Amino acid sequence: MNVRLEDRAGGLVEMVFDRPGVNVFDQQTLSDLDHCVSELEGREGVKGLILTSAHKSVFIAGADLHSLSGEGDPEKLKDMAQAGQQIFHRLAQLPMTKVAAIHGACLGGGYECTLACDYRLATPHKSTRIGLPETSLGILPAWGGCTLLPRLIGVPKALDVILNGRRLPAVPAKKRGMIDAVIPEERLMDHAKIWAAKRCRKPRARGLMDTRLAMAVIRMKASAALQAKTGGHYPAPEKALGLLVRTLFMKREESFRAEAMYFSQLAVSETSRNLVRLFFMQEAAKKKRVDDSRPEPVSRAAVIGAGVMGSGIAQWCAARGMRVVLKDIAAEGVAKGMQTVRNVTQAAVKRRILTRAEGQAVVDRVLPTHQDLPMHSAEVVIEAIVEKMAVKKTLFEDLARCTGPQTLLASNTSALSVTEMAQAAPDPGQVCGIHFFNPVHRMALVEVVQAKHTRPEVLQRAVSFVQQLGKTPVVVQDKPGFVVNRVLMPYLIEAGRLYEENFGAPELDRAMLAFGMPMGPMRLMDEIGIDICHHVAEFLCKELSYLPEMPGILSQLIELGRLGKKSSAGFYDYHHRRKPVAQQRGNLEASPLSAEDLRDRMVLPMINEAARILEEGVAASPEDVDLAMVLGTGFAPFSGGPLRYADARGLQAIAARMECLAESGGAHFAPCAYLVEKCKSGDNFYLESEA
Amino acid sequence: MNEHLVIVDGIRTPFCKMGSDLAGMSAGDLGAAAVKQLVAQSGLDVESLDQVVMGCVGQPVDSANLARIIALRSGLPESVPAVTVHRNCASGCEAITQAAMAVAAGEGCSFLVGGTESMSNYPLLFHPAAAEKFMSLSKARSVAQRLGALAAFRLGDFKPLISLQMGLTDPVCGLNMGETAELIAREAGLSRADQDDFARESHARALAGRLFLQGEIVTVFPPSGRAVEEDNGIRTPDQLQKLDQLKPVFEKGTGTVTAGNASQITDGAVALWVMSEKEAQNQGRKPLARLRGYAYAGCDPTRMGLGPLYALAALEAKSEFRLADMDLIEINEAFAGQVLACCIGAESEAFARSELDRDTALGPIAKDKLNIHGGSIALGHPVGATGARLTLTLARALRDRNLNQGVVALCVGGGQGAALWLEAIKS
Repeated sequence: MNVRLEDRAGGLVEMVFDRPGVNVFDQQTLSDLDHCVSELEGREGVKGLILTSAHKSVFIAGADLHSLSGEGDPEKLKDMAQAGQQIFHRLAQLPMTKVAAIHGACLGGGYECTLACDYRLATPHKSTRIGLPETSLGILPAWGGCTLLPRLIGVPKALDVILNGRRLPAVPAKKRGMIDAVIPEERLMDHAKIWAAKRCRKPRARGLMDTRLAMAVIRMKASAALQAKTGGHYPAPEKALGLLVRTLFMKREESFRAEAMYFSQLAVSETSRNLVRLFFMQEAAKKKRVDDSRPEPVSRAAVIGAGVMGSGIAQWCAARGMRVVLKDIAAEGVAKGMQTVRNVTQAAVKRRILTRAEGQAVVDRVLPTHQDLPMHSAEVVIEAIVEKMAVKKTLFEDLARCTGPQTLLASNTSALSVTEMAQAAPDPGQVCGIHFFNPVHRMALVEVVQAKHTRPEVLQRAVSFVQQLGKTPVVVQDKPGFVVNRVLMPYLIEAGRLYEENFGAPELDRAMLAFGMPMGPMRLMDEIGIDICHHVAEFLCKELSYLPEMPGILSQLIELGRLGKKSSAGFYDYHHRRKPVAQQRGNLEASPLSAEDLRDRMVLPMINEAARILEEGVAASPEDVDLAMVLGTGFAPFSGGPLRYADARGLQAIAARMECLAESGGAHFAPCAYLVEKCKSGDNFYLESEA
Repeated sequence: MNEHLVIVDGIRTPFCKMGSDLAGMSAGDLGAAAVKQLVAQSGLDVESLDQVVMGCVGQPVDSANLARIIALRSGLPESVPAVTVHRNCASGCEAITQAAMAVAAGEGCSFLVGGTESMSNYPLLFHPAAAEKFMSLSKARSVAQRLGALAAFRLGDFKPLISLQMGLTDPVCGLNMGETAELIAREAGLSRADQDDFARESHARALAGRLFLQGEIVTVFPPSGRAVEEDNGIRTPDQLQKLDQLKPVFEKGTGTVTAGNASQITDGAVALWVMSEKEAQNQGRKPLARLRGYAYAGCDPTRMGLGPLYALAALEAKSEFRLADMDLIEINEAFAGQVLACCIGAESEAFARSELDRDTALGPIAKDKLNIHGGSIALGHPVGATGARLTLTLARALRDRNLNQGVVALCVGGGQGAALWLEAIKS
């Protein structure tokens, strides 16, 4: 039995959720809950019911997502939603006082189950997370969440929780009224009994704001905010918003029916399926193993190079509890790096991600230095120095002297050959690439680069290290640009070429925002830095002969000192406080191209490059490429990544379009051999019929 | 002493004038910066530490037992205990001699010691009468009570008490440290010029010794975003030209003690790794120096500046220490007049008889052995750290010049002296 009833003294009954593996609602658990509710319906004299989990760090993590991904039938999905609603509703109708004693993750369906209780208590433990994250998977809470949460805490707060897919610790959950009390783990049961002795909860009195007029205003504001955030690419939060502002004026059953209907529509959508796939891919990456070895967790690390990347990496390692040496050759460089460490940490304190004491501990764990220190106790040393092969080689030679034979040596290079720099180390097998993205504290992706001589257990240590940092590792082979930069560069180069064809930066950016990118290519280049873009593009163009010629605009901008946002001017001017303004370019006439044409000219080169990456085996699977692109560049997540997007559009159609562009725009648009082959055999990038 | 303490390694932050480069760092920040660097550079096995002992005179109110806070913030294991010690200006010495006592008693063999002080961050206080009014305001419940409590305040209640000034005043004799210096300068017949000349010499020696001193300094990175690499109190001869134009601080009109011939008010921290000599040998360490002996002695609080003489005499009385045998002598430059008075007193048989309970004078203190790299007048005097700084500097100087032994002596507010006798360990 995944759910069982246990009698406790004083007429109390404990309902224990104990599914083998992890506590989620699958068919079995639901039906077991159904049984328990039936049994309770038949029993007399039960004074209180307490919901608990037998699992250590999970209360109920939600509905079983696997049961979602297989279903393509809206009717079945609707039944599934309604079945859950009914069981929870019967639970809610039980006459005794019901208390949820929450310790660990209580998300989605798990939290909706507790909404059937009168009271919810939760522990302040780190593992306790409370919320309704459904919309981030392209669906909405359909086991009563959209109906009951607004009735519990009011519409505005419910909107915040549901539309943002929040997963909150106990204290903020209490602040929003989602739970009734925060109780330490050891005393949770004692207090659950006290709460269970209270009377059932009275329904919330109708608030002043619960009028149709107020709701109309709320809807208008929330809708605008949503549009700004999602660009209209995500239907789930919109549907949720539509329902939440109406639910208070509906009967419960009516609202339940609406939930189920929207859910069944959303769950079969390509958007939701892609988001769920990405979720699974990310979960898999977090547990990925490339070797049987089980490396010890890292407690000491060193970062060489205190620039933006180096100090960002050091800060993140320290935030994850490691002691880090942050080294650079010049004291001023170290001082600047320490400022980055402090600023990033301070921002986390401001946002209450860290307490003040925790923030200080993070900074304290970093030892800044510009002197030679022995680093034998460091398990991992990452270099993030200037991107020059000769300098990196010298560094790897030197590192051998001040580190132990067991120290993992890693390079954060974004493009250079790790294999070549590893040659300088006495043991090249000990060297790999660990490529973080900027800003380190925000970007979940890390490319772990397997160089030619990297030993499997060394690669595993790097992968485990990245996982310990709470980042998502994708293993890539040591080819120029690895995955993300290599796929991104043809896109940025094409954007630059279009700019030279007299398209305005805002126009190009709009085209890609409409496609679903979080930021247009011109803004992105300004953010990265024009000089860095130029450097990487130049390098890749040299390595990959088929790439088109570099657009001259980059070097022109560099000559003008317009290096992007860091110099307050690039493609845009950033001197104005509120909004970047496009640089004036005089009256230039661009050849007429539709938004679709613009989009294809920029997106298709990415797909072409992603296909080459698969062909060359730079990444092991289309999943890896798509995950890397979504996490590394924000590539429209609802599309599932460039390869999934291509599959959905049809490879034949894609290839034909590329041919067409190649005729007019240049040979570099021509589909690569791998893509042509796939078209011939009628395959997709993904071996379909995926689970 | 049965088992000697040896100094294995040491480091300090730059010493910076109050309100300057290090003002953004608390005493804890400074201490942790020094300890972290010491651990990283020396290969100290932190698990084997028996205790952390740090001196600090003005412990920040938010950092009770500062040594423990520094230890934990520096990443030392939770299992290593820590204690903060306070013997006023000799707090840094006290940290070292506590370790020495423990080693002699067989209570451990590896210690992290030192001192730290952020004089920039000494708080401003409310007068007790004002504090009382705040208290009654916090107790007031009704609006009327609150208004009543508020009405009791006067403008003067908001004039802060400067804790730095209070800390430098002896509440027993009622004299500020500077006033005690004026007293002994007067009694020793020292002119303003004598004291200013001594101050000039201190700066000149520190300037000449800059490279040597740099060897004990770790660069620190305060929140200001700048790298602080060196002491900032040292003045060039040009900058010292106006020294004799400074006004006396403690005795208007007739005084001779100025900000220029007294020690500077400074931020800084020192960390030393000390061990029992046996353990150092077992581990194959190559220590700088051994602590052959030490003494503390009490004296007249109004003449606390003469404390070094009492301590040196006590050390001679209890061990084979002879001032005449010393190759180098460090007497903390709390005040130029106070060091000069010590030099005079050391040669005075009368003083020896009346004050030191002995027939012979301590003997001359040769200028070329005394404070050869300058002292607190040029480098600054972060009170809790200075004792450890002098010990580190002396140990390094003995090695640097291939000399045999030396002594560190300090005067201590409240009427005490401290003396630490070091012997170089030739490697």
